Amino acid sequence: MQHLVLLIVAAALVNNVILARFLGLCSFMGVTTKIDTAAGMGMACTFVITVSSIADWALEKFLLMPYDLTYLRTVTFILVIAAAVQFTEMVIRKVSPTLFKTLGIYLPLITTNCAVLGVALLLVEEKLDLVESTLFAFASSLGYSLVMVIFAGLRERVALADVPRLFAGPPIGFITASLLALAFMGFSGMSAN
Amino acid sequence: MSALRDGSDDPLGTVEGVAKVVAVEGGVAICEPEPTGTCGGCMSAALCGVKSGGTNRRAVARRFSLPNDFGLKVGDRVVVGIPQATLLKGAALAYALPVVLMLVAAVVAQRLGDGGNGDAAWGGLGGFLVGLAVARLLANRMQARGELAPNFLRRALGPAPGSECGLD
Repeated sequence: MQHLVLLIVAAALVNNVILARFLGLCSFMGVTTKIDTAAGMGMACTFVITVSSIADWALEKFLLMPYDLTYLRTVTFILVIAAAVQFTEMVIRKVSPTLFKTLGIYLPLITTNCAVLGVALLLVEEKLDLVESTLFAFASSLGYSLVMVIFAGLRERVALADVPRLFAGPPIGFITASLLALAFMGFSGMSAN
Repeated sequence: MSALRDGSDDPLGTVEGVAKVVAVEGGVAICEPEPTGTCGGCMSAALCGVKSGGTNRRAVARRFSLPNDFGLKVGDRVVVGIPQATLLKGAALAYALPVVLMLVAAVVAQRLGDGGNGDAAWGGLGGFLVGLAVARLLANRMQARGELAPNFLRRALGPAPGSECGLD
């Protein structure tokens, strides 16, 4: 159990998808102007990353590796992610059409989020079993959501601050992001992973 | 007007959006969410139907109804809102709950079984399906209480995104 906890901490904080691996930066800058949208996007991404990672793990183990088709990995994973997004959309629409109307905007944006593909490719490198892979994907996306919400909170506060005109908008956003990345570097000694 | 809420009772505030009235049926106005000004510039705009003018299947699926207590006509633009807490609750219900239950069930099944991937896969699938069922139940309850429905806040002023600004 201890190694599962370490795996979660390492994936969520030490090797954070956004601030340590620099994946998903487009949504990091684009959907973090408000905390609620950042949290919504984070949860939608968590769902899609976890579900698509399970499918990617199964395809890698039972199709790509046994038949020596690993050169098709990236294409296959992109297809799986697109299918997972469509599947998610169908499920949410079926479970609650009202929820779909409220949250549906996030789903198409996830197809082009490189963090989803990045996590799937990282899983393959780590050579984990099903539960470990699922936990790794979940923890990575949890780290993604955490950083999105923290950054959105910082940006909401910075928006109220008296920032010099030349730094207003994206420049101060990038400076804030760099300070947040420095703060997350403090986790780097926590785990050998 | 029971649907009119300004979000002042919600400590987190209200998420606002602009919608266009596309039909009026009896006392109900059917509205379609309008993309924000920068939405059409996104690289994924073609995927979510923004660039097709809102007439595709995805845009139609996102239509919602409002009680027409304010004499809304087809073509009117309105500002609608939903409490932030409701949005977060909905996102947690739809996305977080099934995944968390799936993870817990997969770990428990692997621990109770022979430690193989098969037990974890079946356990995870079961947890996921239970999560979806619970999410459906809770979403229906929220819907019955009217929590998930957007509320009319005010009429929108100014031109729609992408329309002529009239300054030529």
